[in-house]
Amino acid sequence: MSPIASPAMTSVAPNLTKATEIDTETLYNLLQQPNDFLLLDVRNEDEFQLWRIEGPHTPATLHIPYFFFLEDEAEAVARVAAQAPAGRPVVVVCAKGGASDYVAERLREHGIPAANLMGGMVEWGDFYAVRPAVERPAYQVYQVDRVARGCVSWVFISRGEAAIVDPLRYGRRYLDFLADRQAQLKLILDTHAHADHISTGAELAQATGAPYYLHPYDAIHPFDMVPAQMAYHMLADGQRFTLGELTIEVIHTPGHTLGQVNFLVTAPDGEAFCCTGDNLFIESFGRPDLGGQGERWAPIVYDTIFGIMKTRVPQHAWILPGHYASPAEANAAGLYMKRLRDLWRENRGLHFTDKQSFVDYVLSHLPYMPPQYVEIKRVNIGLSHPDVDTADELELGKNICALEA
Amino acid sequence: MSMDLSGLTVTRELDVRGLKCPMPLVKARQEIVQMAVGDVLKVISTDRGSVKDFQGWAKAANNVELIGQSESTADGKTLYIHFVRRIR
Repeated sequence: MSPIASPAMTSVAPNLTKATEIDTETLYNLLQQPNDFLLLDVRNEDEFQLWRIEGPHTPATLHIPYFFFLEDEAEAVARVAAQAPAGRPVVVVCAKGGASDYVAERLREHGIPAANLMGGMVEWGDFYAVRPAVERPAYQVYQVDRVARGCVSWVFISRGEAAIVDPLRYGRRYLDFLADRQAQLKLILDTHAHADHISTGAELAQATGAPYYLHPYDAIHPFDMVPAQMAYHMLADGQRFTLGELTIEVIHTPGHTLGQVNFLVTAPDGEAFCCTGDNLFIESFGRPDLGGQGERWAPIVYDTIFGIMKTRVPQHAWILPGHYASPAEANAAGLYMKRLRDLWRENRGLHFTDKQSFVDYVLSHLPYMPPQYVEIKRVNIGLSHPDVDTADELELGKNICALEA
Repeated sequence: MSMDLSGLTVTRELDVRGLKCPMPLVKARQEIVQMAVGDVLKVISTDRGSVKDFQGWAKAANNVELIGQSESTADGKTLYIHFVRRIR
């Protein structure tokens, strides 16, 4: 997890014409700037429909499943050539990098410059981009972005002490990152029990001895109605932590889940940061139905957003969400953060003045709920322990935690 | 696909255990083009992705039909078995 300090990258297009394979970080960098390569996705139709490679500059994308190259190589290659004239480079992607390697080789045999994305969508799904949000002598804030899934976690460091909010899978990467900065992990905080991705909160606590915190309402599985089987500390509204020169206040913000909280982090220079998890996003807000109680929980979302967020969070606070639906929600520095006072105006999901019209809107804009979200919640409270392959499959695809656009 | 495959006459069997995508399909295709129209090829794979791949391939190719797929376990590993008929 190497920090990508600058979004301005040198042009990689010349290299791409010669490369036979690229890694996920190279692909990430290519997507940060205008590009002219062709992305050839050779997965099955349903996998392609479920999720695909996107970025601030999503390239032209062609979908031809790899078995078309087995059946009629000349015809499939001709379809690619029609989209890639004049030596336009092609990046080929599949699920795990095997079929795309095969196809890239066929394309090169026909004189088309083609590079295989090593590890395919599995590796792409596991790519984390780290960007500094604030770096001051007294404290630093880092955004850890799992780009393929639209999951964001946040790391705070002050005077050698660190807190992670909503740690994503592969906790080791956070520990390596903190070791590089000579910071010691003091607090592991989850804004809620996640349904769309696997948290490493409890795992990190076991590995480091740092305490893991979750609100107790979220330590009960909403469908199974059984309690968590893992070690955790209970969060409570109004609770405060100190991290170096930062203070962290817990604000109970139910709705997306009953135990959803925000962490309001106040810095000595007067800045404030509010980790909202799946409460407020830059665009839209967290759906209320992933616990199976959309109709009951939607009014609670209203009370949280228009009551608690208006009264208990300073309007100058930077909202640091747990997700985004599109890379377009990032600012020019690639950061998913916006001051609360601007969010009221710019987040189109917040333009409501009465509860009933809000609830009606929410309940008529609920997207499809992936069935694996029930199982992921079991994993996150220690009720289920999948192997790596099963965990990969559970996490497949982009998060669907916000309302439909 | 839940189909009764017990009465099926298998002409050839192809063992691609341990091979990863795209090799199960590459090998199956090499095999079936050597077989006669009407013959059935049984493919034994350990690659989970092969289930969807064989479905997609059968739709894309004009000379094969996917008759059925099944799963079993051997030596603690899941086997993904595909029955493909050459139709042209």
